[in-house]
Amino acid sequence: MKKIDIESCEYPELLKQIKDPPPVLYFKGEWNPDLFINALSVVGSRRMTSYGEIMTEEFISAVCRAGITVVSGFMYGIDAHTHQTAVDNGGYTIAVMPCGIERVHPEYQSELHSSIINSGGLIVSEYPGDSPPALWTYPRRNRIITGLSPTLLVIEAGLKSGALITAGIAKRYGKKIFAVPGPLTSSVSLGTSSLIKEGASIVTGTEDLLSEYGIKNSDNITTPSNIKLNKIQKSIMDLLHREPLAVDEITRHLNKSISETGAELTILCINRSIIFRDGRYYPSGEKIKGRKTF
Amino acid sequence: MNYFSGRQVLSVRRKNKREKNVLIKVTSVSFSGLTTIKIDVEINIADKGLPSFDIVGLPNKAVAESRERVRTALVNSNLKFPLRRITVNLAPGDVPKYGAFYDLPIAVGILSQVVGFEIPENSIFFVFFSLDGSLRHTKGALLAALFARENNLSNFFVPRLSANEASVVKGINVYPVDNLNQMINCFESGEEIKPSVYRLNKPASAAAVDFDMCEVLGQEQAKRALEIAAAGGHNLLMIGSPGSGKTMLARALPGIMPLLNDEESLEVTRIYSSAGNIPPGGSLISTRPFRAPHHIISQAGLVGGGTHPQPGEISLAHRGILFLDEFNEFPRAVIEALRQPIEDGELTISRSLERVTYPSRFILIAAANPCPCGFLNDDGKECICTKREILRYRKKLSGPILDRIDLHVDVPVVDVKKLSRSFYSQNNKENSVSIRKRITSARKIQQKRFSEESIHTNSEMKNRLIKKYVNLKPDSEALLMNGAESLQLSARSYLKVIKLARTIADLEQSEDIEEMHIAEALQFRPGIIE
Repeated sequence: MKKIDIESCEYPELLKQIKDPPPVLYFKGEWNPDLFINALSVVGSRRMTSYGEIMTEEFISAVCRAGITVVSGFMYGIDAHTHQTAVDNGGYTIAVMPCGIERVHPEYQSELHSSIINSGGLIVSEYPGDSPPALWTYPRRNRIITGLSPTLLVIEAGLKSGALITAGIAKRYGKKIFAVPGPLTSSVSLGTSSLIKEGASIVTGTEDLLSEYGIKNSDNITTPSNIKLNKIQKSIMDLLHREPLAVDEITRHLNKSISETGAELTILCINRSIIFRDGRYYPSGEKIKGRKTF
Repeated sequence: MNYFSGRQVLSVRRKNKREKNVLIKVTSVSFSGLTTIKIDVEINIADKGLPSFDIVGLPNKAVAESRERVRTALVNSNLKFPLRRITVNLAPGDVPKYGAFYDLPIAVGILSQVVGFEIPENSIFFVFFSLDGSLRHTKGALLAALFARENNLSNFFVPRLSANEASVVKGINVYPVDNLNQMINCFESGEEIKPSVYRLNKPASAAAVDFDMCEVLGQEQAKRALEIAAAGGHNLLMIGSPGSGKTMLARALPGIMPLLNDEESLEVTRIYSSAGNIPPGGSLISTRPFRAPHHIISQAGLVGGGTHPQPGEISLAHRGILFLDEFNEFPRAVIEALRQPIEDGELTISRSLERVTYPSRFILIAAANPCPCGFLNDDGKECICTKREILRYRKKLSGPILDRIDLHVDVPVVDVKKLSRSFYSQNNKENSVSIRKRITSARKIQQKRFSEESIHTNSEMKNRLIKKYVNLKPDSEALLMNGAESLQLSARSYLKVIKLARTIADLEQSEDIEEMHIAEALQFRPGIIE
């Protein structure tokens, strides 16, 4: 069992500064102090919507490309998707477990568990063995998540949610909190909205996050302009930039036959101008990446 | 005491004049699946021995009960039942006999001796009685009639209620019989029975279809998927929340299916006849079957089975539609049993005594909820399932079966208010009749294409036939390659897309598969609803 003591010089500096740092951290993977230099903590709802999924991909992939480590809690939903996006984009990620270090919880995410380790990331827990998670271990785990980085990003949270509890901890620790805005019709956007109301910073583009770390967005922004769109495709893109729609709705808006609309949508998908998620088409995220902060 | 009275009877009988031993042969049939076996009903009325009435030749319970029915029916028809030793042999003796088909041949045989008449040559009898001597509607009349024609048995006696079904077969005389007395009068005193003339019952087409396509609001893509399924015989999976209209869509499908042609109609009617599913006075089935078994169905109920194998729902859906609502509620084993029939278009059921093959070329329409609570991706209601529950639920959908489903389509809940408020254009309100026209001509193209093959539709094409009949233009192929890469298609999905594109092109009467056809086919790829 690999562990690191609070006395060790490799113990993360930021974590030492919180009120009750864990005396011992158990971990899996290769301990690399560099991982903690630039880190961003991410929390969010277990009940991730497609909007949350897409936002996670947009922000986390940009953050990873900028060399920032993302820290999250390995729970399904936003947490797991954060880790997954980091792994997919070749970034480093740290998962803080609410259970014993030997246990994979939730169990069916064992594939993600091993890919985090294989990609140079870490699995961390303050509990040895394979003790199961308990109700009280989650908030304990959340303090480590916030403690490991200077900034907390909240993507989707309900009004009574673990993500908001974590945000509360972060506030006490004096961390910078970012919240991703979402539609007010969604119950998992109410928590983030209330955070913004209370003074958390709103994220409207990746720049917002990166400038916090003093990094300039160096992403090569591939504008869809190099792909020629025909008239129908253009009007589809216009529709989708307003709101995500299902194929039937697009057909009705365009007043075209379903076969024509369907075919054009496929072509746009293949061009990667749009993405299909949970029954709806979304414009692919190039817009958000390139968007200037306002 | 009994001993003495017995002796007395015996001595009385001895005084009667000696009766000769007689052997009568009557022809009847037995069924094994859709094949018909000739049965010789041999009736021996002996000159010696105690009065008895036995049936031999592997009769089952229903056949053995013939004894009581025949005896009672004769008595109730005011005919004399001979008090002699009667042995009935159903030959061949090693084939098990099922069903109550032998009352009539046995009675006719016995009566020919008692009343004294000649059984007309080349006659075939089959069916069972009521106790009053009237003949009841039976299953298998069509199969028996087909058999009669093949074997030059030109006089076929059937109950009046089954006569129309039997008289589908031209070239034999089908005599409708009401009761035993009528038949005996015919043989004895030449009272004429007029052969039945076939009359096609008008399909109750309007009533048979529950919904017209134009009654289904919205759901443009799902409707289009049904159209493609009907045109190319492709299987379809619909995933949507409760109340989104999956069942309604499926029930509207028969309305756009092309009518059965003569050959198909006979195929279907044969299966229904053998299962006893043709109503009294029924005729050829001309509309495509639509079967929607509930998910508590057993394996034998779905694919057929039993010691004396009976056709299951898949065979009753032959050339038609098998609609499985709540697809992942069906027991796993029941669904897995569909694999081979979907692939082969027929299923052989092997039992120790019988081996029966039933055709099963159907379109599978499966409908399922997206998650256990049913409201994943729903606008109105929030899904309360955890990711794990959803995964477990999805796993219930068997991979190999999904592999055999060409069309996957999402059926979202339609906000009716929104629909009526705006957008709703006339061209989306196409009715079933005009859709059916398109489908019928697409089927004609396929018929022509596969005239030298044993298949009817694009969906039945295997790799070899795809290579032979499908030519992709370079542009289309490039698009497909591109799509396969960026949408991560498996090799099998790749072939499915080609088959679908072929059907889409057929619907547009297009010789070549254009880019747009491929692009539309890709809309229905599996896994789009993940």
